[in-house]
Amino acid sequence: MTIDHETLTAFAKTYGLIYMMIVFFGAVVYALWPSNQSKFDRAANSILEQDED
Amino acid sequence: MLGKHAKLERTAIGFAIGIIIVASIGGLIEIAPLFTIDETVEEDPDMRVYTPLELAGRNIYIREGCYACHSQMIRTLQDEVERYGPYSLAVESQYDHPMLWGSKRTGPDLARLGGKYSDQWHVAHLLDPRSLVPQSVMPAYRWLARNDLDVSDMPLHLSAQKKVGVPYTDDMIANADEDAFGQANPDSEAADGFFERYGFEANARYFDGDRRKLTEMDALVAYLQSIGTLSEAASKNNEITKTIPDEGGAE
Amino acid sequence: MISQLTKTERETALFLTALLTLSGLTLGLLGRNDLLGYHGALLAVAGMSLTFLLIKDYYKPEPDPDNRAKYYDDPIKVGLVLALVWAVIGMIVGDWVAWLLVFPEATFDAGWASFGRLRPVHTSGVIFGFGGNALIATSFHVMQRTSRARLADNISPWVVVVGFNLFCLMAATGYLMGITASKEYAEPEWYADIFLTIIWVVYLVLYLRTLARREEPHIYVANWYYLSFVIVVAMLHILNNLAIPISLGHAKSYSLFSGVQDAMIQWWYGHNAVAFFLTTGFLGMMYYYLPKRAGRPIFSYRLSIISFWGIVFLYMWAGSHHLHYTALPHWVQTLGMTFSIMLLVPSWASAGNALLTLNGAWGKVRDDATLRFMMVAAVFYGLSTFEGSFMAIRPVNSLSHYTDWTVGHVHSGALGWVAMITFGSIYTLTPWIWRKERMYSNKLIELHFWLALVGTMIYVFAMWNSGIIQGLMWRAYNTDGTLAYSFIDSVAAMKPYYVARAIGGLMFLAGAIVCAYNVWKTAKLPTVTEYTPDKPPLPARGRPSAAAQAAE
Repeated sequence: MTIDHETLTAFAKTYGLIYMMIVFFGAVVYALWPSNQSKFDRAANSILEQDED
Repeated sequence: MLGKHAKLERTAIGFAIGIIIVASIGGLIEIAPLFTIDETVEEDPDMRVYTPLELAGRNIYIREGCYACHSQMIRTLQDEVERYGPYSLAVESQYDHPMLWGSKRTGPDLARLGGKYSDQWHVAHLLDPRSLVPQSVMPAYRWLARNDLDVSDMPLHLSAQKKVGVPYTDDMIANADEDAFGQANPDSEAADGFFERYGFEANARYFDGDRRKLTEMDALVAYLQSIGTLSEAASKNNEITKTIPDEGGAE
Repeated sequence: MISQLTKTERETALFLTALLTLSGLTLGLLGRNDLLGYHGALLAVAGMSLTFLLIKDYYKPEPDPDNRAKYYDDPIKVGLVLALVWAVIGMIVGDWVAWLLVFPEATFDAGWASFGRLRPVHTSGVIFGFGGNALIATSFHVMQRTSRARLADNISPWVVVVGFNLFCLMAATGYLMGITASKEYAEPEWYADIFLTIIWVVYLVLYLRTLARREEPHIYVANWYYLSFVIVVAMLHILNNLAIPISLGHAKSYSLFSGVQDAMIQWWYGHNAVAFFLTTGFLGMMYYYLPKRAGRPIFSYRLSIISFWGIVFLYMWAGSHHLHYTALPHWVQTLGMTFSIMLLVPSWASAGNALLTLNGAWGKVRDDATLRFMMVAAVFYGLSTFEGSFMAIRPVNSLSHYTDWTVGHVHSGALGWVAMITFGSIYTLTPWIWRKERMYSNKLIELHFWLALVGTMIYVFAMWNSGIIQGLMWRAYNTDGTLAYSFIDSVAAMKPYYVARAIGGLMFLAGAIVCAYNVWKTAKLPTVTEYTPDKPPLPARGRPSAAAQAAE
């Protein structure tokens, strides 16, 4: 099979899109996972507790 | 799964490489068609290449940043076609390394400039734009007429162009400096070689009107007169269709 | 600075400056018959000057080993000062070229002073010189503080700062001499591109090594944004600059791509440079300095993660909206438009996140010009991303493209968002790293804020007007079906707006000069020893703190 423009385009429009949606969905799940909440709270507050040096 | 992620996150290198791989797979799949997009370009077997003098002129056009204010891309919109001429086709810029489509029209589009004005007009306009167009905001380019054109490197330029895919022959490369001189001195011996290699229809004139020396003005005017004349595909295409292939913004 | 390096590090530095000198000499020798020779000389002179500085201080006593437990802030100071130097240079040139459109004869009959050569000096000067240095300096600060770890080593930060500025210098001086690859925002030629690639790899490795040393389990979200800036800019830079030089002794090269392919790759680069240079990098800045200055954690940490991935994925295909109605295949244009519109969601999520962080601290926004800079930046970020999505719609683009509307849009993002968040961060950061109680003058910050805001408004409104008038004049028809205006009519109609734009730009420039002066005077203030500068200047939960009162 030769890799021509049509093939690459079709691949990008189907599997490429599905791949990106899965990864994005994974990121959303990670962000919204309930047990991660405490970690995020800690991270969000951590920068405010720092001193110099 | 989540425990794994937290562990992954603790090792920064692993985390970053993970991001790079995950994101770049998506990115690469999405941009892969760009590398074959040249397959979608129409074909024009009669298309000619830039002559060495025109190429030298094109490099001056690039050097002076002309592309910052002038586009070379007529869109498929009614008013643009009426103002500038047949809309641009991809094939017309297939030898343009790099392309000079531009992104801003502080001045007008130049895609159909070749042959529109006389050489004298261009020289006078470049020397003093406001003498011809009083309201123009274009800078004057008087140094172009003062600077001698250095053609000694032209074989190197054509050779590099060939490497990126422009079909120059070895003969053209070897004689590029002579041909650049010949095109601007049609009565010289060098002109014979130029006609032989690039055909009689190619423009050969004293572009800047000065017979004594070859200047940057010669080269730039030769280039300006060549814009849009490499291929006739656009004008033929326009005769056939006459319609704009898009809904367009203008009525 | 050099006294902070150990003997071994001084030797490593000497080796590197010798290498720089040698590379410069080689380049100069190869390019002795070409403009390339000047840049060889530039690198050689820079290498020799640095070598001289190192030798001069070579026998100074070594630093106290205890210092190695502290943060390393010297490269940040240098980066910040250079950012301000480039800001002033880049904006002077920018305002100058704005006046050139009003007085086109002001070019002294010299090539270097003409619009086409000066314009890239402005764009590279502000984007790379000002923006790039600010990103590098703040990222050095953020990566250390959020990791609670010192920079991974003492040499590579200097390689990054010095190398990046040499690249900027080669870019700017090259344009004046006529060295340009003509690709917008990627104009430097092949040798400068290779040089930057090396610097950028050092930057990435330094960033990763510093994060690897961190004490915090979680990598704070600002680092994600900074990292995506470093990584994606590397990818964009390499792909878009692939070219074949005509010889190793010439500056000139020819792009590997041509025509429609070159156009697509150029604007894939161009738009993702907006995304990953001018957006994610500065969002990294915002996600650290805005909460710090406000003394409140970011409104929604989760939202910041989701919008990060949204931005990373959606920007990839948005670039083709620069090529609507051109010879680009139709489906690519449609895809570009669709993705550009979807981009509004993560963009507004970030802008909203910033503004909601300030919710409940509006009194502080009123009193503190530094925080107000950041608030206005978030507002402009929201506005210009909305405008960007709107302009990516094909029929809108048919009117806006090629006109001053694009210039206005770019500047509402560049002045309103990028520059304002940077100035806010600089005013926050400067007293901390120079160990001062506060900035030299709060009145001058207030003055700068109003100069910047009014200047931006004048600029953007002038360009909206001129752009829309231009677009409408180009497509106006008489009743008999002929075009109503010649092109030059539209040029003549622009004149009042060009004057207004140049005045707006002048105000913004004046503000940047005020900022540079204020930072300079702050660095000269007496150093506070027993001061914990990172203590939030604003009360975390509405309690007035001693520091906040002292600042007033």
